Amino acid sequence: MRLLVPLCFPVLLAAQVVPPSAPPVVPKLPPPAGFRILIIPDMEGMGSAVDIHEVIAGNEGEQYRTLTSDDYWQRFRGLLTQEVNAVIAGARGAGAGSFVVNEGHGGNLFANVLPWDLDTAAILVRGFPKPLIMVTGIDSTVGTLIFTGAHAGAGSPGVLAHNFAFDAFTVNGTTLNEVGINALIAAEFGVAVSMVSGDDVLIRETRQILGNDFVGIVTKYAVGRMAAITFSPAKVRRMLQDSSAVAVRRAMRGSFRPYRLPKPYRVEFTLRRSYPEMVVQGVDSLRWEGLEKTGDRSYRLVTSDARQMGYLLDAIERVVLH
Amino acid sequence: MSARVRRLLLASLAPAALAAQQPQQAPPAPPPPPRDSTPPEAYYGVTEWREARAKLTPLMDARGFTVYIIGDMEGLAAAVRNATEMRPPTRGGGTDHERFRVELTDEINAVIAGAREAGATQFVVNDGHGGTLFRNTLPDRLDSEAILIRGYPKPIVMSTGLNPEVDVIFIVGAHANAGTPGIISHSFAFDSFTVNGRMLNEAGIAAFIGGEMGVPLALASGDQVLTAETREMLGPIETVTTKLAMSRSAGAGYSPAHVHAELRAAAARAVRRVRTGELKPLRLARPYQVRFCMRASYDPWFVGQVRALKGLRQDGGERCFAYTSQSAEDVGDLLNRIEWIVLKP
Repeated sequence: MRLLVPLCFPVLLAAQVVPPSAPPVVPKLPPPAGFRILIIPDMEGMGSAVDIHEVIAGNEGEQYRTLTSDDYWQRFRGLLTQEVNAVIAGARGAGAGSFVVNEGHGGNLFANVLPWDLDTAAILVRGFPKPLIMVTGIDSTVGTLIFTGAHAGAGSPGVLAHNFAFDAFTVNGTTLNEVGINALIAAEFGVAVSMVSGDDVLIRETRQILGNDFVGIVTKYAVGRMAAITFSPAKVRRMLQDSSAVAVRRAMRGSFRPYRLPKPYRVEFTLRRSYPEMVVQGVDSLRWEGLEKTGDRSYRLVTSDARQMGYLLDAIERVVLH
Repeated sequence: MSARVRRLLLASLAPAALAAQQPQQAPPAPPPPPRDSTPPEAYYGVTEWREARAKLTPLMDARGFTVYIIGDMEGLAAAVRNATEMRPPTRGGGTDHERFRVELTDEINAVIAGAREAGATQFVVNDGHGGTLFRNTLPDRLDSEAILIRGYPKPIVMSTGLNPEVDVIFIVGAHANAGTPGIISHSFAFDSFTVNGRMLNEAGIAAFIGGEMGVPLALASGDQVLTAETREMLGPIETVTTKLAMSRSAGAGYSPAHVHAELRAAAARAVRRVRTGELKPLRLARPYQVRFCMRASYDPWFVGQVRALKGLRQDGGERCFAYTSQSAEDVGDLLNRIEWIVLKP
């Protein structure tokens, strides 16, 4: 826990004084003692969660104020923390020695996991803004990347399906969901995704995107955007623990390919139609190097560094969440 | 109840309280209530019912014995009051709701335990109570082997994913039919609902949909009005009377602990009676002649939305309709579309 203060503080400062497209100053995490896994827990795809009120705290901005239900969100934070602990337990059993957990869910501004209930060996990255948002903490010391509770991309029939702030997001013409975007950034560091959990729609679409044989865990079957056939939290934890052991064993043998696309990356995206005009104006005023506007709510960025895409995502999230 | 939720929300927006404090000023005309006629597909993308069924079927234990449990709340032990016990504060209810979520989960666990003693091997729980948009059962308190269907909108709301691999249906916490003196009595959005002239309550409708695919409804629990009327509709199935209704919002309740024990024993008997072939599915003659009247308390806008649904004929009054179908699941889908009109989140 003490680590968190030096971690977050320079980031906040950096946001004010450095021009937006310059790489933020990021403190290095302590070197790993053993094989390091970076876990990115999101909430929409976790076991049992189906409704927006279960994954929103209500303090994320004006448009989220009525989308919470404290009796539900609080309950799901606990379940989320237990899911992460299950992943860590499995990975530890398979020989992993270092665990970094980077809050991947924007609820409560990226502070959903309960630090006091989390496995004490873990380093927890929480809060917002943070560089590279969902893959903050990535560097070449990371052995493998694990996504839990991920959700399907915008426009798909998955539970709470969406993609950051976008209705559409492609790189070199390929539609990427959030897992795909972050896998592409991680590949710059030579890191591959070894495990993904979420609903059946997410697992199917992520297999198509990544094209590697990551360990996939279906936590629930979507029967609507806010309804699903679910398994008990205990069963989901069992699946996560067993699967992370398998994933880590295979990752330590180097059997997963990082997700690479040809450079330069042609990143094209469209902001959500449901967002107020203010968000569009906010993104327009970013004056991001290399960012062109190609339509009403559409933009293009051409870059050879996937991290630039990550920094831009963070800047856009800041516009949306403020 | 769905309409009550909606009216409550609208009432909280109305400037009535403000006007009462300033009697001199003529109150401004209230704004028209928000009206949303978006169909479910366009709104959240309700999965088609066939797809939901196709997703649940492969999860079934085909060689075992599967119990499909519908959990409702009005008929739970000790529950009497719609305003505070049936939905949480964030949906216009009260903090007691949280206690009744525990009770709901415990009553479902009781029937699971009983059914397991009699040889059942698999349990699918469908959250059937709209007060929290079908998210009442506590996932981390429910028997950890059970599959739980939760959230809204979902296809064929009280029979989502039901398929012929299921061996028996139970309904727990059920309430008596619309127009009866049962506690919080109602039936979906209707004042009356019949198939081939046969009056069906919500338990009866679930039995009708299951019956077509050969699955009997073998256990219902609720107040004495519910248990008596359901036996009248479906024959001598297992029932557990959780309380004796004295009005629509009062009753003499048995201890929840006592009710759990009764539920456990009745569930075991129900499974045995289905396995011996004693309890049969409800089969009605095709084509199904469905007739229903929308609740008189709904304003004409809702009725207009229902009138616009495909395949309905006006029948015996402004709010009454007829529908003919060869498929019970199609009837379930129609119910779902009507439910959507009155229960948009």
